[in-house]
Amino acid sequence: MIADYRIYVLKIKIYCFSINIYLYLACNSKFSVMKKNTKQILSVLQVATWIIFIGLCIKAGAILFSFLVSLFIDPAGAKNLYLELNLYALKDYSTFHYVRLGSLLVLLWILKAYLFYFVIKIFLKINFVHPFSTEIAALILKISYVALAIGVFSVTGNAYAEWLTEESVVLPVLDEHLGGGAEYLFFAGIIYFIAQIFNKGIEIQSENELTV
Amino acid sequence: MPIIVNLDVMMAKRKMSLNELSEKVELTLANLSILKTGKAKAIRFSTLEAICKALDCQPGDLLEYTKDDVL
Repeated sequence: MIADYRIYVLKIKIYCFSINIYLYLACNSKFSVMKKNTKQILSVLQVATWIIFIGLCIKAGAILFSFLVSLFIDPAGAKNLYLELNLYALKDYSTFHYVRLGSLLVLLWILKAYLFYFVIKIFLKINFVHPFSTEIAALILKISYVALAIGVFSVTGNAYAEWLTEESVVLPVLDEHLGGGAEYLFFAGIIYFIAQIFNKGIEIQSENELTV
Repeated sequence: MPIIVNLDVMMAKRKMSLNELSEKVELTLANLSILKTGKAKAIRFSTLEAICKALDCQPGDLLEYTKDDVL
């Protein structure tokens, strides 16, 4: 039990550390557009985004696969859906609730992967000479919508898991899967705000391009 | 747009081609074309000055205001 707790704390620390590196690189690239190493920083960011995206895809795929196996092939699969994610007690309690919570978990990881897919698309399409384009603005807006969906589903999932616990169902710690709902909601708001600023940037850029 | 650019009229009056004007005012043909076709959203004073100098005219000869038709 203590070992599990330590692993969980270690995971959180690694997660926070990687986010810090990501933000540091993002801030540096923002303020040093004209510097020589900008391309290198952007390349590192792009690689980091690809790694996160692939990781999320694998995670979503693994949970989806084991969830389907537990439903249609071997019910014991619910004991270890993904890295000791044990929802067997829930499946034993009610298959209906198991399907609902399992689908929610799968959906959340797919949405997280989808969010990073849009980030990759931005990296592939952005042009730093004329950065303000309707395509990029649309992608930023999509990111905000996906983040909003993740936030809403996370909060809903958390409430649902709490309700199930009150119904005396033994559930594992689901913070890794359902946590951070409020943060995602806040993130969605910030990104939506940035998208609106970006739209203003498009107007200014087109005006600048048509100034003789 | 209620502001009309009469660059083509002035060029015709002075019998000056777009290429010639482009060389005189040191603007690209693409930018002069934007100005001539009325697609431009703004014009710098320095550009206006250079065009007026090249065509020997006043800013009022190049720019005209007309009221928008309300449908």
